[in-house]
Amino acid sequence: MKRSRIVLSSLTKTFRDGGREVAAVQDASFEVLDGEFVAIVGPSGCGKSTILNMIGGLVAPTGGVVEIDGVRVAASAPAHVGYVFQKDTVFPWRTVARNIAVGLEYRGVARAEQERRVREAIGLAGLGGFEDAFPATLSGGMRQRVALMRTLVVEPQILLMDEPFGALDTHTKINLHAELLALWQARRQTVVFVTHDLSEAITLADRIVVMTRRPGRVKLIHTVKLPRPRDVIALRESPAYAAEYGAIWHVLGEEFAERAS
Amino acid sequence: MSERARVWLWRVVILVVLLAAWEWLTGIKAISRTPGLYWIDPFFISRPSLILKRFAYLASDQVRLSIWQMALSTVQSTLWGFVVGVSTGFAAGLILGRNERLAGIFDPYIVAFNSLPRIALVPLITMIFGFGLLAKIVLAWTIVFFIVFFNTFQGARSVDADLIHSARFLGGTDRQIMRTVIVPSALAWTFASLTPSISFALIGVVVGEFLGGESGGGLGYLIIQSLGTLNAADMMVALIALGVIGIVMALGIRQIEKRLLRWRPEYRDRT
Repeated sequence: MKRSRIVLSSLTKTFRDGGREVAAVQDASFEVLDGEFVAIVGPSGCGKSTILNMIGGLVAPTGGVVEIDGVRVAASAPAHVGYVFQKDTVFPWRTVARNIAVGLEYRGVARAEQERRVREAIGLAGLGGFEDAFPATLSGGMRQRVALMRTLVVEPQILLMDEPFGALDTHTKINLHAELLALWQARRQTVVFVTHDLSEAITLADRIVVMTRRPGRVKLIHTVKLPRPRDVIALRESPAYAAEYGAIWHVLGEEFAERAS
Repeated sequence: MSERARVWLWRVVILVVLLAAWEWLTGIKAISRTPGLYWIDPFFISRPSLILKRFAYLASDQVRLSIWQMALSTVQSTLWGFVVGVSTGFAAGLILGRNERLAGIFDPYIVAFNSLPRIALVPLITMIFGFGLLAKIVLAWTIVFFIVFFNTFQGARSVDADLIHSARFLGGTDRQIMRTVIVPSALAWTFASLTPSISFALIGVVVGEFLGGESGGGLGYLIIQSLGTLNAADMMVALIALGVIGIVMALGIRQIEKRLLRWRPEYRDRT
């Protein structure tokens, strides 16, 4: 039995909207095991990003506790945790290489070592030839690759990803899925990946936490029974994938339907 | 002919036509041949030929204070006022922009001081700092500081919170985040204030020179002195010199801006 790295117990978050208290997340509890890839899916506004922000210490919970490696998450970013945002957070004033190097720079890694690791990361992400390009000249997919490599190059053990591919077109998205899986397969970080895209969750995750619509509760925790390593393209045509999709869609569909009523 | 050459051609044509008209119109005499009666009197607006003559005289070593010395004094005080104003304004903008409470405390003082017409300060500054270089620098500083301050303040406040968060997750300390995220992000705003800043620094300096007398030197002194002697040609020499100085300084700033903000799409591929 693997040890659990992230534990959420009765996590609740309410926001003040005018004079009203609005619950974004209610009583969410689940665990993420070491080296596990967990996806959180749910309709928009279900508080899934809020959960991720609470794990990352960006938002303080109203009730309940988040623990990482047995330590309660306070108002600061826990060490060994990497965070990839949905929004483009690549520094526009730094070149690709200097963006990827920034975390190493913060940690005071020696120049030569920085360069070596940046070169390796650029090779892995297929960004060769763009080392000295500024982000404004890159496509959205390439910028998100830079953001991902910038996070991975400091070798976080836990990776929090908030709809990192949400703004990309399907083709780019699928390519990035393959790249992310290959990188993850090599390092086996513990990943929490938020998305509203069910097929993305099935492609990537070991387990899927399905949220209800607002106030977000955990509706279902589903274990994806697809073998690894996964071929992201072939996967989509396999009957096993269709079965997984059907099983979760049935539950998730209820949430969307309720919204419509 | 390239677009660029065409633009330059027109610029030169306009200049030549204006100068020629000026020279010609101020040479036509009205009614009689009595000296002093012109359609457009060169006594008030001088003539290009006269200005050139006066320029040659002022640039020669026949005068006690040559035009070069005066221009140097003006440029020097402007640059000092600019540099001091930009650096202090930038620092203050960053600090207050990142500190809600300090910004709240200082807000009324800043607004009050900034709405004070700076020219009203000239006599006081002269009283405190005398008639020399220092008074002019201080005057330019009081203007430039606020322009740069307000811009940097806005820039520092509008730094994308997610950029700061992501820097924190990458292991950045407060100091490192200041240097690698907040400063570069605010710089884009600061730069927008530099071109107006240099013009206002020049205004501050010239106003200071109006009052500064000979010890302060400068082109403002030449203008006031020419008013005393009713010498329009010398005034024109000073004004043209100020115009040239203004253009050169603005171009210099644009070069620095292009270099430092080369990551912005609007600064790329443009020369």
